[in-house]
Amino acid sequence: MSININRALAAFTKKKYHIIIPFTMPSLALFLVFVVYPYAQAMYFSLTKWRGLTPKPTYIGLANFEKLLGDAFFWNALKHNLIYLVSIPLITIVIALYLAFLLTHGRARFRKFYRITFFFPQVMSLVAIGVLWSFIYHPTIGILSSIAGFFGAPEPIAWLGNPDLALGAVGAVVIWQAVGFFVVLFIAGMDSIPASYYEAATIDGATRWDLFWKITLPLLWDTIRTALVFLAISATNMFAITQTMTQGGPNRSTDVLSTYVYERAFLSGKFGYATAVAVAMFLLAFTLSLLTMLATRRESVEY
Amino acid sequence: MNKGISRREFLRSSTALAAGAAGANLMPLTALAQDGLPFEVAPEAMNPLGLESGANVEGVFFEGGFGRSYIDNAADIFRALHPENEMSVEGIQQVSEILRPRFIAGNPPDVIDNSGAFNIPMDSLVADDQLADLGLLMAAPSLDTAGKTFGETLFPSSQLDGVFDGRQLYLNVAYTVSGIWHSQSLFEEMGWEYPRTWAGMLDLCETIKTAGIAPWTYQGKFPQYMVFGCLMHLVHKTGGMDSIKAIDNLVEDIWKSDEVLQAVSMMHQLAANEYILPGTEGLTHTESQAEWLQGNAAFIPCGTWLENEMRELTPEGFKMVIKPVPGPDESSYESLVAWPGEPYIVPKNAANVVGGMEFMRCMLSKANAQFFAKEISAIMPVFGGSEGVELSSALTSALQAAEAAKGGFNYLSRGWYSDLWTAVKNATGELLTNRIRPEQFAETVQAAADEVKADGDIPKYTHE
Repeated sequence: MSININRALAAFTKKKYHIIIPFTMPSLALFLVFVVYPYAQAMYFSLTKWRGLTPKPTYIGLANFEKLLGDAFFWNALKHNLIYLVSIPLITIVIALYLAFLLTHGRARFRKFYRITFFFPQVMSLVAIGVLWSFIYHPTIGILSSIAGFFGAPEPIAWLGNPDLALGAVGAVVIWQAVGFFVVLFIAGMDSIPASYYEAATIDGATRWDLFWKITLPLLWDTIRTALVFLAISATNMFAITQTMTQGGPNRSTDVLSTYVYERAFLSGKFGYATAVAVAMFLLAFTLSLLTMLATRRESVEY
Repeated sequence: MNKGISRREFLRSSTALAAGAAGANLMPLTALAQDGLPFEVAPEAMNPLGLESGANVEGVFFEGGFGRSYIDNAADIFRALHPENEMSVEGIQQVSEILRPRFIAGNPPDVIDNSGAFNIPMDSLVADDQLADLGLLMAAPSLDTAGKTFGETLFPSSQLDGVFDGRQLYLNVAYTVSGIWHSQSLFEEMGWEYPRTWAGMLDLCETIKTAGIAPWTYQGKFPQYMVFGCLMHLVHKTGGMDSIKAIDNLVEDIWKSDEVLQAVSMMHQLAANEYILPGTEGLTHTESQAEWLQGNAAFIPCGTWLENEMRELTPEGFKMVIKPVPGPDESSYESLVAWPGEPYIVPKNAANVVGGMEFMRCMLSKANAQFFAKEISAIMPVFGGSEGVELSSALTSALQAAEAAKGGFNYLSRGWYSDLWTAVKNATGELLTNRIRPEQFAETVQAAADEVKADGDIPKYTHE
């Protein structure tokens, strides 16, 4: 009998490509046309001088990348991306973990209500959020200025008009928007941790702090890793929110790579150079997700 | 260049034209095709470019401060003139994003209003040879000014910036005057008088501040309004046309020259003396203009589109007027920045180039110019364009100012070196929030100008 099974297996292995290939072809074709080809094309455009009006760019080799290295505005935008990259994932995850833990283990009433409320910003479009927050940040009629005035601020604060505040103001909106999603994600993760672990630990005298650090966090590690990658990628983008709220201003204090790409391409008509910036941006995002995956690669605990 | 046109010339041309029209009445008219037209068209002006019947025209237009009613009005004239041809009108804001793919694919629309903050840079379009030569159109008979060519009905010099190597490549449909706006009603009520020198301006600012109103505001997040609405006027008043041309021609260290530095320092005094509405830098253009309309600030820089842009938010009885920026002494009071704007193009590769040009004949017709003056309160560079129209206080004051300034002046490098003017804009924002001093302003902007000058990829032009 065992021979028969082996033969059948061998026959299946031989034949499996007859099945796999036709089934994967359509998606592979779509992937090639809509993902690989545009990427390759962008790589090519980054080696050209192109105003974005004719189908014929001029090949100039690596000149765009050479220029990029000496472009202070590029480094300025990159710096802001890096600031976001460090701060946004960290702050978002800390807040989300805190809220999720409270909602799972605290004696909060209206748990469902909070869950929905926290999640709400996630279903709004970033542009709508940008407009909404522009009103909140409005120096004369905005609610934040009224609050600051109540606490004795002598003058209205131009949150988005002050180069020292604008970057933080835009970043805060992204955190506000993202927290809800990760709260829900973390709650789902925490709910799947068996209650008996907590009970056992509590009987052994563990404090809530211990429960969080010794049970919740290790068992939630996979989810947190995913969250980190998501947030890191969104921190390298930041286009929609920046474009709606500040267009990179004042004086380039909120410029990020994506808005700089937009400015160079659509407003200055330097598509070749802009694509070079975009390629640099792609490399950054790619390296980052790779690094995040590597750095957070721990044995995941099975339970 | 930029002699522009005075109101007096407007009126003179209007009378002459009225006489011409009376003469035309005596002639037998081709009655058949006149149906539905708001004016009479001479037989030779019916279809001088030879538009084929059935060839449809696709128009895509920037829809901004001037709205779209004047475009629709021009399209209606076109439709009445050519009932056999369909004309489509689409209004957009992101011109560059939406129309670039059409250019790359080689099928751009037949006529485009390439304006707004997100326009396709004209220098790119010219360098890539994407624009149709409008020479035939310029030489064609005008639609509703008998005995004149289309080109002759436009203000002299209003279309000069659209000429490249002797070819007319775009047409400006608006004539914009910029300067400082205030509410005449408020000033009368408070007994204030608009100053004739910058020192007088600063004195009045002190008085206004004491009265509990912020003397100035500007379009905060878009500091370029202070550049074209104040700074460049001051440069003209301190250094004359020589300084303006030197800036356009990237003359070495011009931004550090005494004249330019003086102008920058004059503007800086508004910030240094805290005459600017606190929080201004966080406002958008419409938000700051709304603050001004609510009486929270006395002065705001802007162009003549202001009245139409803010029409719905303007309180009853708010009499807005525009005045020149006062200079170091009275003798330089009159001069101001005025420019032909809202450029329209006909792409060379459009399916119906003739149709695009024929539409432009309707767009810049006298009838549409009058519609523009009446409904939009703005000026088209067309002779007789304000004839028979009751003008608003804003438009009257703009025409008076333009007349006194003999048409005003313009700085041309705005359309040539966008990187330079982005740097000026950003530095102006920093200066007006007291984050940098005038000397640092000069350093920063000069560095940007040097960079533009050294960049071989940017084509260079000269302001003669």
